[in-house]
Amino acid sequence: MNEKPKGTVGWLWDFSDRHRGGYAASLICAALGVACGMAPYFCVSQIIIALMNQVRDPGFYGAYCLAAAGFWLMRYLFHGISTLLSHRATFSVLSEVRGRLAKKLTRVPMGYLLDTPSGRLKNIMVERVDSMETTLAHIVPEMGGNILVSIATILYLFVLDWRMGLVSLITIPIGLLCYLLMMAGYEKRFTNYVVKNKQLNDTAVEYIGGIEVIKAFHQSASSYEKFTTAAKEAAASAIDWMRSTLPLFSSALSILPAVLVSVLPIGCILYMNGTLSLETFVITIILSLGIMGPLITVMSYSDDLGKVTTIVKEITDVLTVPDLKRPTEEVTIDNYDIQLRNVSFSYHETTVLHDVNFSIPTGSVMALVGPSGSGKSTIAKLIASLWDVGGGGITIGGVDIREIPLAQLNNTIAYVSQDNYLFDDTIRENIRMGNLSATDQEVEEVARRSGCHDFIMQLEHGYETRAGGAGGHLSGGERQRITIARAMLKTAPIVILDEATAYTDPENEAVIQAAVSKLVVGKTLIVIAHRLSTITDSDHIIVMDYGRVSGQGTHDELLATSSLYRNMWTAHNAVRDRKNSEEVTV
Amino acid sequence: MISIFRKFFRFCGDQRKLFYQSLFLSLLHAIFEAIRIPAIAIVLSAMISKTMSAGTVWATLIIMLISIVGCIFTRASSTMKQTVGGYTVATNKRVEIGERLKYMPMGYFNDNSLGDITSVTTNTAENLQDVATRVIMLTTQGLLTTFVIILVILIYDWRIGILLLIGVAAFLAINSRMQKKSNKLSPKKNKADITLVSAVLEYIQGISVIRAYNMDRQAGQTVDRAIEEHEKINFKMEKSFVPYMCVESAVLKLFAVLMVFLSVAFYLGGTLPLLNCLLLVVASFLVYAQLDSAGNYSALLRTLDISMDQINKIFENPVMDEDGRDICPEESDIAGKDILFHYESKTVIDHVSFDIPEKTTTAIVGPSGSGKTTLCNLMSRFWDVNEGCITLGGSDLREYKLDSLLTNFSMVFQNVYLFRDTIANNIKFGKPDATMEEVEAVARQACCHDFITALPEGYDTVIGESGSTISGGERQRISIARALLKNAPIIILDEATANVDPENEALLQEAIVALTHGKTIIMIAHRLKTVQHADQILVMDQGRIVQRGTHDELLKEGGLYAAFIQMREKSVGWKLGGRPA
Repeated sequence: MNEKPKGTVGWLWDFSDRHRGGYAASLICAALGVACGMAPYFCVSQIIIALMNQVRDPGFYGAYCLAAAGFWLMRYLFHGISTLLSHRATFSVLSEVRGRLAKKLTRVPMGYLLDTPSGRLKNIMVERVDSMETTLAHIVPEMGGNILVSIATILYLFVLDWRMGLVSLITIPIGLLCYLLMMAGYEKRFTNYVVKNKQLNDTAVEYIGGIEVIKAFHQSASSYEKFTTAAKEAAASAIDWMRSTLPLFSSALSILPAVLVSVLPIGCILYMNGTLSLETFVITIILSLGIMGPLITVMSYSDDLGKVTTIVKEITDVLTVPDLKRPTEEVTIDNYDIQLRNVSFSYHETTVLHDVNFSIPTGSVMALVGPSGSGKSTIAKLIASLWDVGGGGITIGGVDIREIPLAQLNNTIAYVSQDNYLFDDTIRENIRMGNLSATDQEVEEVARRSGCHDFIMQLEHGYETRAGGAGGHLSGGERQRITIARAMLKTAPIVILDEATAYTDPENEAVIQAAVSKLVVGKTLIVIAHRLSTITDSDHIIVMDYGRVSGQGTHDELLATSSLYRNMWTAHNAVRDRKNSEEVTV
Repeated sequence: MISIFRKFFRFCGDQRKLFYQSLFLSLLHAIFEAIRIPAIAIVLSAMISKTMSAGTVWATLIIMLISIVGCIFTRASSTMKQTVGGYTVATNKRVEIGERLKYMPMGYFNDNSLGDITSVTTNTAENLQDVATRVIMLTTQGLLTTFVIILVILIYDWRIGILLLIGVAAFLAINSRMQKKSNKLSPKKNKADITLVSAVLEYIQGISVIRAYNMDRQAGQTVDRAIEEHEKINFKMEKSFVPYMCVESAVLKLFAVLMVFLSVAFYLGGTLPLLNCLLLVVASFLVYAQLDSAGNYSALLRTLDISMDQINKIFENPVMDEDGRDICPEESDIAGKDILFHYESKTVIDHVSFDIPEKTTTAIVGPSGSGKTTLCNLMSRFWDVNEGCITLGGSDLREYKLDSLLTNFSMVFQNVYLFRDTIANNIKFGKPDATMEEVEAVARQACCHDFITALPEGYDTVIGESGSTISGGERQRISIARALLKNAPIIILDEATANVDPENEALLQEAIVALTHGKTIIMIAHRLKTVQHADQILVMDQGRIVQRGTHDELLKEGGLYAAFIQMREKSVGWKLGGRPA
């Protein structure tokens, strides 16, 4: 699939794919509706002409009034149908766009999801998609219908009398000129307004978000001052912007529909010359009352068209993130030896890993240590396929992980730091996610082993307690243990454990540690270690520094060979919490 | 409709005048627009009486020019007044909210409440100043000008005038039914919105788990269902609205046609002169035009109502500090006497008393949910106690002005909030008139200086901009430097959150030692070292202090404290993946 970059229109065309028929029908109804809306003008012209010609037949007038009423009813009938059709199509399109976004999220690299705040993605999927409604549901049919009918009416006037046709168009160039003049200075002032408005928003976010700090540091007065200044400046810039565009904008809006300014005097002259019939003149006068309305409606939509470009871009930015490409055919993996060959990786144009090489035999415990930013967490993320390597390769049992289907890889690796999220479902089902075929007994057994069973049983609804989102009276440590139970149920042969996120709840640290110990029994274990004392017994320790492997070996070997490791060990011991700190002298 | 108008004008306060002026100008605008009808009448009557001359030509031209110029002027100034009014009201509300925040209890602030306030100050106020103002003005103008035009017609011919009034009544009846329908349906729509938002959020937040456990299909179903439901409800809303919208407009048009018919009938019956009849027939296109567009916008009035409610709600939040004084306590000892505190009808602190002498270290320990954090928050008056009292330097906290009370406290890790400003300014926040030397001195003490000078821009690095990646531990140390500069006599510290960056633990500990030197220290403790060296340990359980004393005393006592120590010892000696111990 080699897609060329598409513009807004291209994307909208793409989004509307299955609903173009609906939009076409809506457009036709809209045009019919607007056309029916012009007919009463014609009827009333006939009434006026008859009145002027002293026709005194009530039946004649009644018939035309009836016709006018009938046309009005049809106008709104068609309008209603058109609106419903376009909304049905639009709401389906919005749903499909949401569906596409949801699907897309299952294919993008997991790292992208970790990097993008969930609020932002939610905002795009919900609010931004919603805000396309006006454009798609109203503008498409109404703009189309209005333009079509304006053209038709003007053509009709030309057919009646080409001179009057021309005369009725005089206000258009003048109105448009005003509009264009307005647009000339628009960009600059609008930019100023946008900048000031952004400043206001930023300042508001800072003032409100930082209010605790502001108050704690006794800075309310100066920060408040900053905030109010920003608010006032933003308002002033908006008012300025309005003040500069309003005269021209009002002129455009007032001149454009005032077609009578030319129709009346010039019509009079032509009438006096005897080259314009009374009938044609009256029809021209009455039609010119209704001719510009549709065009002004069109003009009023131009703002929304600008907005939709921004929205479409936000949506398609997500849709065009490159997929993480993986095959779907399962491959045979004989053992769980992990090997990294010349692995390099760049992130936002910074190289984070250079030529990393090491291997982890099946069933061994390997610890990754190093200062923050040394790349140890990145290595774990690459092994778990959160990102693809930039260069080199990672193999499990000799198979490159890019050849392993994601589902199979996920069954092979349990990445504990990742899954601390509980779904809005029962605790039982949250644990069972680890293995959908597990029986209730198996779920409870694993909960026992991870130290969850007791606190779960104390809950009012036991295993049937809902765990999700807000529904948690569960503490952080309890949630953590449930996710460990889930990971245990998965029985993946490889476990990756990130200490930094694993122990966020010091009050329950001991229980969590016990659960982790049971999880990792007999597994190939990779630990991203922060407290060196927990990994001194590892089979193998890799010391990372500036994205490179700076040393490897056992604890004792590294104490002898790596100065970085030695320093880290010393530092760790100095602050290490223990029973009798006086004992330690390093 | 009328009640929203009234609410809006009350809400606007002094700016009301601008809106009244704007309305008056828009009325003038309607009149300038309406003088086209006499212009047409002149032409028609000239044709009937066959008296058309150059004079007719000039007359129509002049009337039309006056109409255009008048329209331009009144439209521009009416819109201007409305814009100034809308933006000023929104700005005033923003400023009032900002002012209000200064006096709200700190305990009220959390991610949720602050998020809401931010959203109101930005999005809601933005909607108010622009769309909402325009909508209310359009609807008011529509009603007003229609009534004025009908009034003029009443004078011309009362029979037609009454017909038109009946038309307006019919329109309003349908419109109010539509509003009722909308009020009835919108909770359903809100529910579908909320369901969609939570389904999408759950899906996005859980997607890494979903993928890790290969649950794409199952999890996708929930979100698909929410999307589908949302679509259905939205379309249902639209389906129930569209008929009303169409009938509403059609009714106006039908009354206009009726007006034409009756005018002609009256003329034929001899009770209406021809020229008046022609005038009324032509006018039939204009009488309801404004009302019709007002009707189209009236559905949006609800958003204005909601915006105003959201803003008003912020002003319902409690304030404190109304009668505090500036007090400078001589000693920084804190004491609580039999304090009781409820939060959302749950007793969180249950008759607790304590005594924290100046320059001592107090450690608070206890299981999660035992009230440790709340107790600390009460000491710095994030909330007011419900019963009993807390004193600082002998004076009740409530006697202090909030600002002057908070000068005495530094709260570390409660909120590592750094501003989008340079590092230097962030540190200076603790003391705005600090010199660069002072800033660097505290940065050194808080172990920040080295990493700051290693940044390409050094102290001028702007926090939060791309390229300047500062780790969690580094942020914490900057916040400690800030606190050092503030040099408050009492330090409140939560060790749990201090644990987030184990790699920098050594530096962090060093920074904390610098900060707490010679101060009154209250800490929610987890480290064995901390509790061992504390002058006093308060053991909390279920909102009460169940044990108090020094480490040695409490160890002998047994109970909750001894159990806590045992757990800690077990966890610090833990090793991973080793041979079975």
